[in-house]
Amino acid sequence: MSEFLSMGGYGRYLWPAFALGFGVVVLNFVLAVKSLRNAKEEARRRLEMNP
Amino acid sequence: MAWTWFHRLGSPPHVYAFARRWTPWFGGAALLSMLIALYGGLVLAPEDYQQKDAFRMVYVHAPAAWLSLMVYTTMAVAAAVGLIWRMKVAHAAAAACAPVGAWFTVAALGTGMLWGKPMWGAYWVWDPRLTAELVLLFLYFGYMGLRAGIEDPVKADKASAVLAVVGVVNVPIIKYSVEWWNSLHQTPTVMKMGKPAMDGAMLWPLLLMFVAFALYFAAVLLIRLRAELLRRERNASWIREVLT
Repeated sequence: MSEFLSMGGYGRYLWPAFALGFGVVVLNFVLAVKSLRNAKEEARRRLEMNP
Repeated sequence: MAWTWFHRLGSPPHVYAFARRWTPWFGGAALLSMLIALYGGLVLAPEDYQQKDAFRMVYVHAPAAWLSLMVYTTMAVAAAVGLIWRMKVAHAAAAACAPVGAWFTVAALGTGMLWGKPMWGAYWVWDPRLTAELVLLFLYFGYMGLRAGIEDPVKADKASAVLAVVGVVNVPIIKYSVEWWNSLHQTPTVMKMGKPAMDGAMLWPLLLMFVAFALYFAAVLLIRLRAELLRRERNASWIREVLT
């Protein structure tokens, strides 16, 4: 396991790169879902104001 | 007959329903293929004879960099369609692309720096490809800044679309920079004429990761597109229907 994590000594560059890349993957999904939720709330509020 | 799909693309309620139906499929397929590709790239693929285990950077860096270009191209095409056919949905799609593309440009630059340090001895060099990718990030920022700075949505759509279309010239510059100029960045391994210069055991996880990122982009774009459509379409009766 520690051999896998060290990645032949390149682990200190490799793992931060994977964390950044897949962190952006997760973050973009979360931001998109949040944006949709906000847009729905705004639209509901608009509808309540102009029934 | 052939044009009915095009007309339906211009109808916000139709696009909204389509996006809602397809997002889980694209997202699920993306997650599954990403996990398989990660296992293939990090565990199954043998180490490279030159770069040793550092070559595994390719499984995150190349898909992120490729997506940064694909998202920009999608944004420019959507913006052009919006300008030419005055299609509201196309402008909404272009606006939905920008933040996703900007984040993946950050990921491409960051993972590239972490690969550059052990291979080149420096996190950053003013190399043609690196510089052009940084310009891409500024183009995304410019596009988003322009949209945010113009209050009238129709004017914001038009002005930002022109910027997106003009900026697309940077995409082939990034793609061919390693061939046109003497670059420190390696030349294409997969996306080139002829056979990929990579062994099959290393290649399949990379190709699968490209597919995974494309599916993921489709899912995120469809979620953001729904948000854009809800914000743009004020007091339309279909919004009442989809929200209740």
